[in-house]
Amino acid sequence: MSIDENTLGVPRHRRAARGLPTSSTGARSLRQAQAAGATLGTGYLGMGAAAVAAVQAVYGLIFFLVHLSSYPVAAPAIIAWLVYLAAFIGVVALVAIQGERLTGTVMIALSAALAVVVVLDFVAIWPLHNVGTYATASVSVGFGLLPLVTLRPAREVILATVVLFLLFVAAIVLTTPLTARTFPGQIAALGLACLPPSIAVYAVQRFRHMVQIELDRVLVQSNVTQPRFAVGMLASDELARLDLAAEKLLDGVATGEVPLPLEPQVASTAASLATELRLHLIEGRRETWLYHAVTESEYLGRAVKLADPSSLAGLLTPEQRDGLLQAVWLLLGDRRTRAAGTSVTLTLGPIGTSIQSMAGRSVEVPIDITSTGIRRNRVTPATWNALQRMGDYSTSTHQGSLRLAIRCIVENPADA
Amino acid sequence: MDLFAQERDRLLRTTTRFLGIACTVLSAVSLSFPGVATARIGPVPQLAVILPFAALMVVFLIMVGRSVRILWVVLGLAAGLAAGAAALLPDGFDGNGPLATAVIPFVGGGVASFALVLHSSRRRVALAAVAAVLVLAEVVLGTREVLSVQLAAVLLGWVLVFVAGFWIGNSVPRAARRIYSIGNAHRAERQASETEAQRRQGARLLHDTVLATLTLLAHSGVGVTSDALRAQAAEDARLLRHLRLGSTPQPQASGDYNLDTVEESPLGQTLESVKQRFGRMGLEVSWHGTGQVLLPTNVLDAFLLALAECLENVRRHAGVTEAHVTIIHDETMVRAMVTDAGVGFDLTGISEERLGFKESVVNRLREVGGGARLFSAPGAGTTVVLEAPR
Repeated sequence: MSIDENTLGVPRHRRAARGLPTSSTGARSLRQAQAAGATLGTGYLGMGAAAVAAVQAVYGLIFFLVHLSSYPVAAPAIIAWLVYLAAFIGVVALVAIQGERLTGTVMIALSAALAVVVVLDFVAIWPLHNVGTYATASVSVGFGLLPLVTLRPAREVILATVVLFLLFVAAIVLTTPLTARTFPGQIAALGLACLPPSIAVYAVQRFRHMVQIELDRVLVQSNVTQPRFAVGMLASDELARLDLAAEKLLDGVATGEVPLPLEPQVASTAASLATELRLHLIEGRRETWLYHAVTESEYLGRAVKLADPSSLAGLLTPEQRDGLLQAVWLLLGDRRTRAAGTSVTLTLGPIGTSIQSMAGRSVEVPIDITSTGIRRNRVTPATWNALQRMGDYSTSTHQGSLRLAIRCIVENPADA
Repeated sequence: MDLFAQERDRLLRTTTRFLGIACTVLSAVSLSFPGVATARIGPVPQLAVILPFAALMVVFLIMVGRSVRILWVVLGLAAGLAAGAAALLPDGFDGNGPLATAVIPFVGGGVASFALVLHSSRRRVALAAVAAVLVLAEVVLGTREVLSVQLAAVLLGWVLVFVAGFWIGNSVPRAARRIYSIGNAHRAERQASETEAQRRQGARLLHDTVLATLTLLAHSGVGVTSDALRAQAAEDARLLRHLRLGSTPQPQASGDYNLDTVEESPLGQTLESVKQRFGRMGLEVSWHGTGQVLLPTNVLDAFLLALAECLENVRRHAGVTEAHVTIIHDETMVRAMVTDAGVGFDLTGISEERLGFKESVVNRLREVGGGARLFSAPGAGTTVVLEAPR
């Protein structure tokens, strides 16, 4: 046996940014959701986009066949349509066979094919001197980009859309005299070609963002059912890793594969292993579910400051925890694009004395939520409902931003 | 799901806003081109009627982006229909001309954009259908043809927008199902991870001997015979393997480490294991006083760890091979006095931190409500008094 240097002292794998072990389901799902062209839920969207593009292609083809007689030379346009249909069917078949992904090479080939379609279509209608009215296959190219929105990073689709826009503008400027009769047609064609992919990019980006936030929320939600103190997702992973490293080292010493006295390098490895192990045995004992929730969440972690010196969050019932988490989430999440200054500070404690606490059965945990950049009139009814689940609350405004004082009645830990 | 459904509606509403405003701007640009919109409505040029209504629709689109109320959708559709009527219906309009083409993006995209949010209930679908029929009627009347290119384009726009809205709306529950199944898996994983961490952290005595052995190895095993160190390492590796394989280790050779979750553990038996361990490393420990004291597990752990830490200090720094531990107890406290006749040291010369004394001994005992005191002078040996509540 040899000592695996990498497993000792130096963390073997990079820790996920949000404090989840990289091998966990949560981290895996997040990576998947955050990857460029992620497929979580977008596969079905892609099918819808393909359906929309197909409907438009049928429309465009009918339009083309109706106007076929006006073309001086129809051959380039016919070829353009054939290339477009081949590319479209090719992509659909590829996705059906390979699953929801498209490699860069395929994307480049596809872009080239679509560019050929546009150029051929323009060549065919050039003598007609009215791009807007007669463009068919080239308009469909804009719709053809729709299914790609879910398969490729947004910037590639945006680039393709911009190129399409420029090609249209160039063709219009070069061929079509702009008069009151022709102008509206050009604008309509330009819009029909370029708006759909733009809107699709916008909607799909929003959709992905939405899925990510929801995923984050669902993962953090699992903290609600935790005991009063928890070690968090990371601790057990790390502890297991350290135990295994120690076991290997000790095993090596026992079997004589690691000679005694130890070489300085191995000795220092043992020292750092002991230090890490010691730290891990101490840490994580006094951390509450709320601490873990805030540190594990990408969205809460950025904007929430937690002050809970007496670890009172652990006393809250699951119902109250859920309410607190949801309230904070809604306060921060209400704004679509969260302003840079928006933040929330949670202060728990100190335990106050009230009539209920006099009886000794329950204690009152005051929770103070101070916010910056959250106006009171922007708080949704759902937020108030969530707060209601925690206990009585009162609101005030501090420097234009919402401030909440909640009185949570919890069971007295001394009684429990 | 509740929150997620809200998010879905917001996505659809903001997409509506984006599409509606973009299409309205396109038509406004076309219409503003000189000579496109030439008819008059009464004394007023038709453009002066179309544009305000279109602007009003943009305002309602913005409101749709912000608010869930259906009112804004209805008002927006009304404003859009009014603008469309002002464009297509006035007398003196020659039918299939540029004006109809200019209005297509507006009626086939801008007004149609509201259809994105009109698929979730029957009433909404009916509203979308009525609006679509009215728009198509306007186009038919305007172009004076039942089947025109413009009509087909507007119909296409409405169909595409409605399909898109329906499809986006349906993607969300699918994504939600997957997200929640991931969430469930994550919760199960968290619980398993928590239990595992507690099991490992709970094996404190095991980890204490492992740490002691590792510390020895960190000093290259100097001062201990190779055989003793190998035996200790083999034993610790065996225990760690048991821990890894999921069983709670039951040491045999090292005495009775009580790692079960019993409430109270006898001190005497566990002291024996500490003695054996230091015996292997060349420090003879002599016990005096009480053999059997029952302590709560966490107190016992802290007490033993502190004790072992003191003995380790003796072994490393005192320069003697023998140490004495005297255990006494009364109703409330149990005390251990660790003495050696070694080199001793000047208490003012060496800070407690340097010996790791504060972290490993004092803090450990304080956690359980005890404490520790240190007495020493150069040449006069060292005495540590450890206290823990019973």
